[in-house]
Amino acid sequence: MAMEHLRWRPTVNERDFIERALQSDLRVDGRHSFDFRKLKITFGREDGSSEVQLGETHVMGYVTAQLVQPYRDRPNEGTLAIFTEFSPMADPAFEPGRPGESAIELGRVIDRGLRESRAVDMESLCVVAGKHVWSVRVDLHILDNGGNLIDAANIAALAALSTFRRPECTVGGDDGQQVTVHDPEVRDPLPLTIHHMPIAVTFAYFGEGNIVVLDPTYKEEAVMGGRMTATVNSNGDVCAIQKAGGEGVMSSVIMQCLRIASVKADDITSKIKKAVDSYTTEKALKKVKRLPTSVPQKISVTDVIMDDKGDGELEKQAVAVQQISKDPPTIVKVSSHEDAQPMTESSNAEVNTSSAVAAGESDESQEIGSPKSLKDAIKPKHKRKKKSDKS
Amino acid sequence: MEGGSRAEGRNPNQLRPFSCTGNPLHRAHGSARWAQGGTIVLAAVYGPKPGTRKGENPEKASIEVVWKPKTGQIGRQEREYETTLKRTLQSICLLTVHPNTTTSVVLQVVGDDGSLLPCAINASCAALAFAGIPMKHLAVAIGCGVMDNGAVILDTNTAEEQQAKSFAHLVFPNSRKSVDSKDPTQKDEESERGLISCITHGAMSEDDYFNCIERGVAASSKISDFMRKTLQKEVSGDA
Repeated sequence: MAMEHLRWRPTVNERDFIERALQSDLRVDGRHSFDFRKLKITFGREDGSSEVQLGETHVMGYVTAQLVQPYRDRPNEGTLAIFTEFSPMADPAFEPGRPGESAIELGRVIDRGLRESRAVDMESLCVVAGKHVWSVRVDLHILDNGGNLIDAANIAALAALSTFRRPECTVGGDDGQQVTVHDPEVRDPLPLTIHHMPIAVTFAYFGEGNIVVLDPTYKEEAVMGGRMTATVNSNGDVCAIQKAGGEGVMSSVIMQCLRIASVKADDITSKIKKAVDSYTTEKALKKVKRLPTSVPQKISVTDVIMDDKGDGELEKQAVAVQQISKDPPTIVKVSSHEDAQPMTESSNAEVNTSSAVAAGESDESQEIGSPKSLKDAIKPKHKRKKKSDKS
Repeated sequence: MEGGSRAEGRNPNQLRPFSCTGNPLHRAHGSARWAQGGTIVLAAVYGPKPGTRKGENPEKASIEVVWKPKTGQIGRQEREYETTLKRTLQSICLLTVHPNTTTSVVLQVVGDDGSLLPCAINASCAALAFAGIPMKHLAVAIGCGVMDNGAVILDTNTAEEQQAKSFAHLVFPNSRKSVDSKDPTQKDEESERGLISCITHGAMSEDDYFNCIERGVAASSKISDFMRKTLQKEVSGDA
């Protein structure tokens, strides 16, 4: 069944209106020529899962990693692969199955920006040279096509890579070749080393290359004469430029676009970093929040009263925890996986946890300043399991 | 997980907190984002589109389902989900209203923490309602697990599904809201309304199975109320 009739095509009136408005320096949604739409970055429960909304465009990024054999010509480097999915939910014209040429182009532009500019450090992903390296896979799902998919997908990929954590592994054994991958509950997973953030900025050209706008919507994309994507980072380096066909544009206009792109890249980089930072601190806080219900019955710390605690005394526990100054043996940092969720969402414990949250947050400033007390506060996993068996 | 205390302190009959966002997507005709704890599914509906695929009955509308996992290639598990969803949704839609058309439902798994198929069915049903596709009634789905000690728990998460002896995903039609009070007979009515779909994993005894269905029916009325509230909110928001 041909899907061609489903592809949205602008009417003559719409095309005329958009072009004429642009000649008077007006855009249909009221933006200025070089304004980005509103950018919103959110993260999922798991590490390495991000959702980006750029105006009406919605993209989801998801990063996973596994141990593989490296390529023969690069035995001590990990690999990075980008998979783009133009989901049929984004646009009625997208068909499931083989990716079309725009999907492939998007994948290639993001790939070039990330891999060839060496944004993600590949050598740190090597475990045993020539045998085991980490292969990082980035899945980008386009959920809603509101125009300018390249920029949104790029931001989603960067946000997901920044929050991704890979399991820690140690090499040992008789021949020094045995690799043990540690469970995230046993040893904290590690972040990827990201040297810089290549931001893709897309320009659309109208009216024989005279009129340039930034971040086109899908209606503007249908009417535009040509498009150029410049991937730059906040250091002012140009990582990649993609101008595939379309209207011819004067080189002075291209240079102007590159200058604008680096200004915008700065702005977007700071937005991504802010979102990533607030997510990371929130996650770290959740580890503390989890403690009150999981404190075991026997703690060998004298200044804290830790008897049989019922649910109603969560708040007291949260405050009491902060006073621990001793150094209990083999403290293991536990990465909250399924446990972080219940603290904020389980309905029956809602009332109690909200009070615990309040207590936890008031202690936040002190806890972040003294990392030792934060580590002390979390008990090793085997002790917590014992408690849940008893209850 | 012994002694009836579940991971988040839920009791055996307690469901995870539900949330449903109506029409988060702009291009789709109808969409819904349904979250059950950590399991989140985004469903989008386009339709009705002209023409049916080869092999489909042109005298009725047909539904095509596309399931997109979070990562990895599309394999047999995804195909199974697509078929189950297609059959379930075809049984609740009024197919004779728009003959020779195709309505496509696209699902994207945003998070998976157990009871993925029920969450997807709930999401697609809500998305179809938001798109205005005519339906006979709604479909509410719930996952039930049978533990080793015979206890039945509702709305299983991933850890519980792995530990359970067997588990079932049940789909019921939504509960009716009675205009006049007919409380004594209502319970019989509920169980007579039947079961739309049932996918089980693992072996369970007949008693366990009927126990699951009973619990599922009870849960389905709660989920129906939630769905009804969500749909009413969206409608009143538009107006």
